[in-house]
Amino acid sequence: MKIRVLIVEDEPEFMRRFSNAVLADPELSLTGAVSTGAAAMALLGAQPPDVLLLDLGLPDMDGTEVIRYVALHHSACDVLVVTMFGDDRHVIAALEAGATGYLLKDAGADRIATSIHELHAGGSPISPGIARRILARMRTATTQPRDESPRDAVLTPRETELLRLTAKGLSFDAIGQLLEISPHTVVAHVKKIYRKLAVHSRGEAVYEANQMGLL
Amino acid sequence: MLVALIIGGATDARSADQANESASPQHALRLGASGLTPPAPDAPWQSVTLPSVAPQLGAAAPQGPTWFRIDFKRESASPRPWAVYLPYLYGGGQVWLNGQQVASVPESTDQLRVRWERAHLLPLPDNLLRDGDNELMVRAAPALGEHSLRFPRVDIGPVVTLSEANDRRQFWVRTAPQLTVLACLIVSAFVLFIWWRRPGEVLYGLFGLATVFWGIRTLTFVIEVVPVERWQLWRLVYLAATGGFVVVMALFAMRFAGLRHRGLERALAAYWLIGPVWLLLAGSAGEPLVNRIWSGGLIPIGIGIIAVSFWAVWRERRWASAVMPAVLTLATLAGVHDYLISWDAGLMERVLPGWAGHRLFMLHHGANLMLLTMGVLLSLRFTRALTSLEQLNESLESRVADRERSLSANYLRLAALERQNAAAEERQLIMREIHDGLGSKLFTSLSRVERGDMSHLQIEESLRACIADMRLALDALAPEDHDLRTALGDFLFRWQGELEAAGVRAAWTIDMPDEAPGVPPHTTLQILRIAQEALTNVVKHARARQVELRLQRANGLLRLEIQDDGLGAGLAPGAQGRGIVNMRARAERLGGTLELRQDAHGTCVVLSAPLASSAA
Repeated sequence: MKIRVLIVEDEPEFMRRFSNAVLADPELSLTGAVSTGAAAMALLGAQPPDVLLLDLGLPDMDGTEVIRYVALHHSACDVLVVTMFGDDRHVIAALEAGATGYLLKDAGADRIATSIHELHAGGSPISPGIARRILARMRTATTQPRDESPRDAVLTPRETELLRLTAKGLSFDAIGQLLEISPHTVVAHVKKIYRKLAVHSRGEAVYEANQMGLL
Repeated sequence: MLVALIIGGATDARSADQANESASPQHALRLGASGLTPPAPDAPWQSVTLPSVAPQLGAAAPQGPTWFRIDFKRESASPRPWAVYLPYLYGGGQVWLNGQQVASVPESTDQLRVRWERAHLLPLPDNLLRDGDNELMVRAAPALGEHSLRFPRVDIGPVVTLSEANDRRQFWVRTAPQLTVLACLIVSAFVLFIWWRRPGEVLYGLFGLATVFWGIRTLTFVIEVVPVERWQLWRLVYLAATGGFVVVMALFAMRFAGLRHRGLERALAAYWLIGPVWLLLAGSAGEPLVNRIWSGGLIPIGIGIIAVSFWAVWRERRWASAVMPAVLTLATLAGVHDYLISWDAGLMERVLPGWAGHRLFMLHHGANLMLLTMGVLLSLRFTRALTSLEQLNESLESRVADRERSLSANYLRLAALERQNAAAEERQLIMREIHDGLGSKLFTSLSRVERGDMSHLQIEESLRACIADMRLALDALAPEDHDLRTALGDFLFRWQGELEAAGVRAAWTIDMPDEAPGVPPHTTLQILRIAQEALTNVVKHARARQVELRLQRANGLLRLEIQDDGLGAGLAPGAQGRGIVNMRARAERLGGTLELRQDAHGTCVVLSAPLASSAA
């Protein structure tokens, strides 16, 4: 069965580029290509995709809102965020909202298709800078344990070790050798870490809301 | 309280007078006779009222020993023993009852000088007492140094009735002085010790000296018998103590009021010395003259003390400063009281009937009160000084803390400034890098495109190079902690896709200790550029299947090695030319070297750069 892909991108040039990359791959099917968050949410209900290719800078809303909506209503759908440069801050925000992958905008057609396949197969990319930031986020959670924050949001020692090694600039191959797992398992771990990051950030939000008396 | 006690004592004494059983004769017969046995009844007795002073003021000749004859009645035989109570008998003497000597108080002799301050309660043997009329004869010797002879109103009655008055008087004239001497000794030792340790606290020293002098002076009331050979020495000590007390009090009052007058202080000290020296030179015979002139001179000093204290009150207008003059006034009143009792008992008798005859002198108690007040004032001063010292300490501590805070704030500001400077410098370097690299590349491309000199493929390649350049700068700037490992990791992570797309297997090893110091962004940028140049060459020219990148740090040297299995020596010499020159220039900018090894098995680029100086 083909992987259904929805593209949300307001810039026509890139929308064409992404659409062509998806259409060129026989294993992928394009369910739609829209330029606003509202249209994306409408289409998500009509034709649920497997992978959402999302630009963060949308004209009608922040891309992270779309991610949050997807995570809440279509949790089976993977979100692949498109960024201009390796902008860690925005990537982290997207991951916390529920994205599980990110892609550089200038990636070639092959790279785009490969990334969609990898993400759907259960693996996520991670750069040392991103790993370092996630470690910092999670560390504050473990040093200040809160009852409200969900238990599964806490990283396992192995996941922490993986992040630590990634942050040190080690390659997936090297990490796989050190942890005695295959490079595929490494990227699968990364996806799990991303999900935990999203749960953790939601837990934080719930905790903050509780503190402020909103819930 | 002291005053209340004294007045209470007086009333008690009077109530004892009025006890039914006892007798308190107002009248007696007096006869000046030096004989050691009572004169005959037909001798020329003179009638007197008790208490008696003889001769009256103004008489020329000093009084010799005198006999007093007192008749009293005892209503009926009493089961209780009787006694005669003499509140004072300064010069000593004898007591005879109905022709028999019943008691004697030693008088001054050739060997001993006496002056009895104590009261005398002398028992009257029951077998000599008669029901009805009795005759008491008392021989009174003149007191030493006194012009006239004083004889008290006597009380005759049961011992139990009289002992109360006796005990009370004994307390005031005997016990109180003893206590005073003891207290003066202890207090002065304590205060003088403080002065010894802290010579700057002159007030303590003066107070200590005043206490010592007062203690010595009060010894007069404690030591009633002095051997003749030491008599003059004793008078000398007494005179010196009296003068010293007054002079020291004057100095104290001045200092306490904040008056400092060195000349006046010296003059007072000199005046104090004059008295004892004069007495020493003149001998016993000169004592009355010394007393009249030198001791008289102390009176104006005393008045000066009072004036100074009142002036201090007026100036300071505080309750604490009013205490001293109040007590001084009280002491002065006590002095006036004593003077009146001594010299014009009649006036006192009219004001306070029955009181003058007791001859209870108040000045000493007033002086005690004065010393006590001085002590209290000094203690208050002391505690105030301690409190202000504590406050000073606290404010000092807080000031030190403030200073520390401001110092550390300064330090932080300086550090921030330094960081800012360093960051600005870094920014400058990176901006120049972007200007020279990305900027010139874009301009060159633009001008070539305008000339129509670039193919579609060349334009794509050029733009990709520009984006890569841009990324490199961002990578170098990204890690907040300037960790070269993260920057290089991000760089390689991005390159991995490109290398794979080019069919090159990439492996990288980063071997840097965790505690390695941060590498400034500009240095990171140079290293990344060298790596980028090398990897670009691998992809473009080498036709390699595998590339290996190793980053190491050893002995303060950074070593970056990029090894491929491409054409190596087979490569055309010009192909890598400019790239290599660029890499060498960058290595030199880092203060390091670049080594290029090419052989049949491929190419190896090795960068060695010192890490410590790479910040410059």
